[in-house]
Amino acid sequence: MCSRLIARVDSVCTHPVPMKFSVAFVMTLMLASVSMAQASVLFSTLERTLVVEAKIKEQEISSGIALAGVSHLVISWHLNESFPVSVGDKYVNVKLRLCYAPVSQIDRGWRKTNDDLHKDKTCTKGIAQQKYIFSGNSTTWRVTKDVPGAVYFVRAYAVDAEGNQLAFGQTTDKAKTANLITVLPISGRTGNIDIAAAIFSAFSVVSLTGFLGLESMRSKRTSK
Amino acid sequence: MAPNSDWQEGNAKGEPGSSLHGVTGREPVFQMTMETVGEKEATDLKGRKFALPVDSEHKAKTVRLYSVAAPHMRTFHLSWIAFMICFFSTFAAPPLMPVIRDNLGLTKVDIGNAGIASVAGAVVSRLLMGTICDLVGPRYGCAILMMITAPAIFCMPLVSTPVGFILVRFFIGFCLATFVSCQFWMSSMFNSKIVGIANGTAAGWGNMGGGIVQLVMPLVFDIIRRDIGSEKFTAWRIAFFVPGVLQVMMGLLVLTLGQDLPDGNYAELKREGEKVNDSFQKVFLYAVTNYRTYIFALTYGYCFGVELTVDNIIAEYFYDRFDLNLQTAGIIASTFGLMNLFSRPLGGVLSDVVAARWGMRGRLWNLWIIQTVGGVLCIVLGLTGQLGPAIAVMLIFSFFVQAACGATFGVIPFISRRSLGIISGATGAGGNIGAVTTQGIFFMSSKYTTEDGIMLMGIMIVACTLPVIFVHFPQWGSMFCPPSKATEEDYYISEWSKEEQSNGLHHASMKFAENSKSERGRQSPPRSKEETVVVEGV
Repeated sequence: MCSRLIARVDSVCTHPVPMKFSVAFVMTLMLASVSMAQASVLFSTLERTLVVEAKIKEQEISSGIALAGVSHLVISWHLNESFPVSVGDKYVNVKLRLCYAPVSQIDRGWRKTNDDLHKDKTCTKGIAQQKYIFSGNSTTWRVTKDVPGAVYFVRAYAVDAEGNQLAFGQTTDKAKTANLITVLPISGRTGNIDIAAAIFSAFSVVSLTGFLGLESMRSKRTSK
Repeated sequence: MAPNSDWQEGNAKGEPGSSLHGVTGREPVFQMTMETVGEKEATDLKGRKFALPVDSEHKAKTVRLYSVAAPHMRTFHLSWIAFMICFFSTFAAPPLMPVIRDNLGLTKVDIGNAGIASVAGAVVSRLLMGTICDLVGPRYGCAILMMITAPAIFCMPLVSTPVGFILVRFFIGFCLATFVSCQFWMSSMFNSKIVGIANGTAAGWGNMGGGIVQLVMPLVFDIIRRDIGSEKFTAWRIAFFVPGVLQVMMGLLVLTLGQDLPDGNYAELKREGEKVNDSFQKVFLYAVTNYRTYIFALTYGYCFGVELTVDNIIAEYFYDRFDLNLQTAGIIASTFGLMNLFSRPLGGVLSDVVAARWGMRGRLWNLWIIQTVGGVLCIVLGLTGQLGPAIAVMLIFSFFVQAACGATFGVIPFISRRSLGIISGATGAGGNIGAVTTQGIFFMSSKYTTEDGIMLMGIMIVACTLPVIFVHFPQWGSMFCPPSKATEEDYYISEWSKEEQSNGLHHASMKFAENSKSERGRQSPPRSKEETVVVEGV
């Protein structure tokens, strides 16, 4: 059987290119289907052991309007006192993330919430990562210019050494309707872009009319 | 010069329908009375010799892909590059969609509308372009369209609302009508025996623009972000100057280097030649009353329309479903369009090969099989959840869908001789309408996920290819029915009224009917000499 297989492969190598491609495809298919299944953490299994607060620094309020590129968020977190300190024994780091509120997820499948945290797209913007201590910590973060205009809350994941989520805390309630922060984005337009666009457009139209005019003048001259 | 030879050289100068005469259909010449150029060196109006062998009309008899000799090969290259750049501009937004949707706050409905808008404009512009080429020539048609739509491309960097985005994509989409000027130009420059391959290659390489853009735009975006240090929301705007500048440059090149006909430009030739004008109403009537026009407009909507749809959604699909970064998603998405390098020309070649043995019935079966297999593969693509297999399926799917486009234009030239231009334009427009419909139903709302949309699109492809079964030519038959006793002459003469026949207007159609006897397949009477296509450099 092996010799037949080898003879087969040999014959494929002498066959034209399409045959080689189809063999390559089949092998890719086989290799790709043996994909490693990673253990996925479900959000519903996480306990809410952290308390997180976020404030817009310039206005000293916890919900309101922040400007991308300008405003700062002051985020502070600590272990909820109603839990014993031993709960945090396995926590190594705390990851702070900016998460979309449900109102900003409507009709936008690329921001969808999924219980499987490997597939979850709610909290795609990372803010900071800090070492875990039960008494907590805080950080000041300037809302970066690439944050899209949307309504957000802040969530903190307690993770172990491999990065698997063990617990969480967030600035809003379970329904994700309270204490939300609205970010107003930058437009991305600059004065230079506006000017360049105007110049290039004008060039296109003017050179076209110029050419056509020239050619019609030339043909009128030769026909006379 | 015998009155027949004009026709046999594939020329019907000036008649509407001649504009897209022989569009990608190989028309084997039945009688071999083509004048060979050797006894007398052919020269153009200015007395210069042609670089390629030409027929009595000065149309090239071969295609030399590595040459840029004026006028034939220069036209070939100008034409397909211009069409490719228009494809590039129309589909410049989709690979950057993950950035644009965040900048403008787009919802899935907005993105869907923009995708529809990008292909909807060309429905009208493709229908008009055939007439424009007839009137002012393909050089002006192509260049004017490109340079008028360039400002729309430059408006994209200024867009800040979803409505603005949709409007700008709509206006940019008009430039897809360069497909028509490209095919028209090929038909004017290349002999009817090789015009099929010239057209198929030019169309296929032009469609590649939809693939190249998926590679180039993320790359340009990345360079601008890294090396110039712009913010994401600014970098994509600057990246849009690339297609804009390319389009203006190409428009200028077409104006300066292009030439309408082998002998010169329209303006010069109009002063000397005669133009025979057919009646637009008659030509339109015969196109509109031929049921095959509608069937092929529908089926082309589900091969070319699907190609346009996939160009619009595939990068975002890979980015979202498989969690890739922008550049990787772009590279994978680009392979879809790049398959056009050979798949569309091969579709046309397959159609010709099958026709040599089985005639028109073979062509119809060929088209139906290729397009249906494409539909099945589309269903499989939607169901595939792993990255490797998804890429493999997408590649095979792209081959079949693009080959179906080539195969469609293997049949179109035979539907009507008189109304060929309008039917070809209607088919092209049908392709865009298919894209509009498909995106509207499956990729607009959040009712279907993108993968479900792809799977349902596959089912629709299979369903909308079934009407090919009903295409029946009395002289050649259909997929399941043999031919009746009618002849090719009966079919093509039915487009001319008794008065027109008495005026002798139908002679060109009769010559075409004679030539089209090859569509009977191998059991047709043996021919004395058969010319083979000479394509160098392929």
